[in-house]
Amino acid sequence: MEENEFLEEKAFQHCCAEFIKHSQQIGDGWEWKTSKDCSDGYMCKTHFRATAAAHPSMSPEGQTWLPVEEALEEPWDDSEVTEYAAASEVVKYEYHVLYSCSHQVPVLYFRASFSDGRPLTLQDIWDGVHECYKTRLLQGPWDTITQQEHPILGQPFFVLHPCKTAEFMTPVLKNSQKINRDINYVTSWLSMVGPAVGLNVPLSYAKASFQDE
Amino acid sequence: MAEDPESVLQLPPSAVAAGGEGLGELSPETATPEPPSAAVSPGTEEPAGDTKKKIDVLLKAVGDTPIMKTKKWAVERTRTIQGLIDFIKKFLKLVASEQLFIYVNQSFAPSPDQEVGTLYECFGSDGKLVLHYCKSQAWG
Repeated sequence: MEENEFLEEKAFQHCCAEFIKHSQQIGDGWEWKTSKDCSDGYMCKTHFRATAAAHPSMSPEGQTWLPVEEALEEPWDDSEVTEYAAASEVVKYEYHVLYSCSHQVPVLYFRASFSDGRPLTLQDIWDGVHECYKTRLLQGPWDTITQQEHPILGQPFFVLHPCKTAEFMTPVLKNSQKINRDINYVTSWLSMVGPAVGLNVPLSYAKASFQDE
Repeated sequence: MAEDPESVLQLPPSAVAAGGEGLGELSPETATPEPPSAAVSPGTEEPAGDTKKKIDVLLKAVGDTPIMKTKKWAVERTRTIQGLIDFIKKFLKLVASEQLFIYVNQSFAPSPDQEVGTLYECFGSDGKLVLHYCKSQAWG
């Protein structure tokens, strides 16, 4: 589909449409939103997570984070269960996939808030970064996750900076050209960047990319 | 393809990711060498709960990423993608600033917590799971 590592806007919209089609099939919750003023649009997904005080794999103290249901299955004594439940918070995460005209690639915007509406801080977000990515990200955090105004909503969001996107997408795209296989740029890209900020992209999208199979 | 002797994937305990329950089942003892084709041929019934059963993984480099001398590995089903990434990075002597991605279907990066056993169920063929890996400086 793409001849180079950049993605044209129409192609972006097409990729998103395909992505959302699969999302609907599996109930993954992604939707397309358009702005009233222009033809710009974006994909978005909201999901809720119950979380204890510290994120599991980030905390050096080794605190574990479990969904409340799992915690109750553990052989904790009653007082601990009560304490855990009291400490758990429901956090609402929103992920938006927009198109960056300047970089000609998709960009991931996200924000999170507690149930009382308090937004998570950049530090909270950092604490939630997957161990796998933490080392690298922490070497230059201010280059990679920044807070910016959402281009369409005008509200502050965190953004995973797109300046390196073309670079890390290139090998994947070149490889797909070599084997003559179309891939969904947005699916591939999101599978790579999503986990870094707590967004899971289910495995079935990997097969959905190939409509001819 | 099998010009390299089959190797058993063994990680030093320090490579175990925090919070990864599955990696606790990684045993340091040398596994009984099993001929790959016999161990994981499609249609072989795996005993339920036999989480130490290994699957065959074929690692292929993408782009400018160094090619691993040993490409074929027997990996425990419960090994996570993160564990595999850590292993390949150490094997290739990558520095911390380099990111390594692993792909199924040459295009999709499974989440780091995904177990290779599950990936094998979904994407394995001819008794093995082919994973492509690629290094890049993804961030910043």
